[in-house]
Amino acid sequence: MTNYWPWWLGSLALAAITVSFWLLLRKPLGVSGSWASIVGWREARAVARSEAPFRVNAAAMGDALLAATLAEFGEQATLQSLTGSGAGIPSPARAVSPPARAPWTVHLTFLVALFVGGLAAAVISGNLSLHLTLGPVYTKLFGAGWHSWLLLMLGGTLVGFGTQMAGGCSSGHGLSGCSRLVPASLLATAMFFGTAVAVSFLIQVLVK
Amino acid sequence: MKRPSKTVQHVIYGLMGVALGFSLSRIGFANFGEVHHMFVFSDLRLLFTFAGAVGLTMAGFRIFAGGQHIPSKHFHPGTIPGSVLFGTGWALTGACPAVAIVQLGQGQLAAVFTLLGILFGVWSYRQVHSQYFHWDRGACE
Repeated sequence: MTNYWPWWLGSLALAAITVSFWLLLRKPLGVSGSWASIVGWREARAVARSEAPFRVNAAAMGDALLAATLAEFGEQATLQSLTGSGAGIPSPARAVSPPARAPWTVHLTFLVALFVGGLAAAVISGNLSLHLTLGPVYTKLFGAGWHSWLLLMLGGTLVGFGTQMAGGCSSGHGLSGCSRLVPASLLATAMFFGTAVAVSFLIQVLVK
Repeated sequence: MKRPSKTVQHVIYGLMGVALGFSLSRIGFANFGEVHHMFVFSDLRLLFTFAGAVGLTMAGFRIFAGGQHIPSKHFHPGTIPGSVLFGTGWALTGACPAVAIVQLGQGQLAAVFTLLGILFGVWSYRQVHSQYFHWDRGACE
């Protein structure tokens, strides 16, 4: 039997990861987003390629936009809007180029690292052994063999489809969102957790 | 803040992934039995872990990221149906998108089938979204 971490240690670890992820990368932690960019790598590559010339000429485009604005609205109005916008040197090009996303290969590194983390935990705690099932509780509920694998594939499809449709999962909505009391994330978390509770009770009733 | 270079991003995402995978495994979130017992409330440890993590993250954001604008997800017509589908899948497989990978790392080879399902699910959602749904996903900002 494995000795899992006490709840407070687990909370501390998850919170430290969620907060430092934001502090280091300026992106909220979210694993389903990584799946999306890996599966959509072709589209990401096409977008990056079509954007490349704009990035190279960002300064030139900024100048051109500024010139066009000057020609259209006159010097007075343009300067007013530029100085009125606040601190720093105004950059019209900033409005054109969208915020850069992490390339899909970085997301792949993230998912592979999850595998390495799970492997390291199993090795260090001395629990590494190969199984064809998900453990005794799973086998008791669903049995073993090809029909249980089929069920896992069906369940996985629901996880993949559902998290994309809901725009997040237990990390993106659950940790990053709920901790900041984002309404959509609170609702999503209540819905996926509530549904999982209902389905788990249903499974228990059906198996008995 | 300037964006870190691609190599630095690989390193940071890699370290974060290892830390998250290790923690999820040591917590027991990648054990189907533990997760099932959380969902039927026969063992509240994981529930406390999650609730505690949300509370501590809230405090952490206040202390270390106060005043910073962190992008939030918006409600759209897919929020509720998507969450219901995900909840059903989570109960059946014990896996969220991160955990399925961690299960495999622990040596539970059956998670390969969950992962195949997730890949197919993510792929098929991308196909139907562009054809039938018109809301902004905002999932991968």
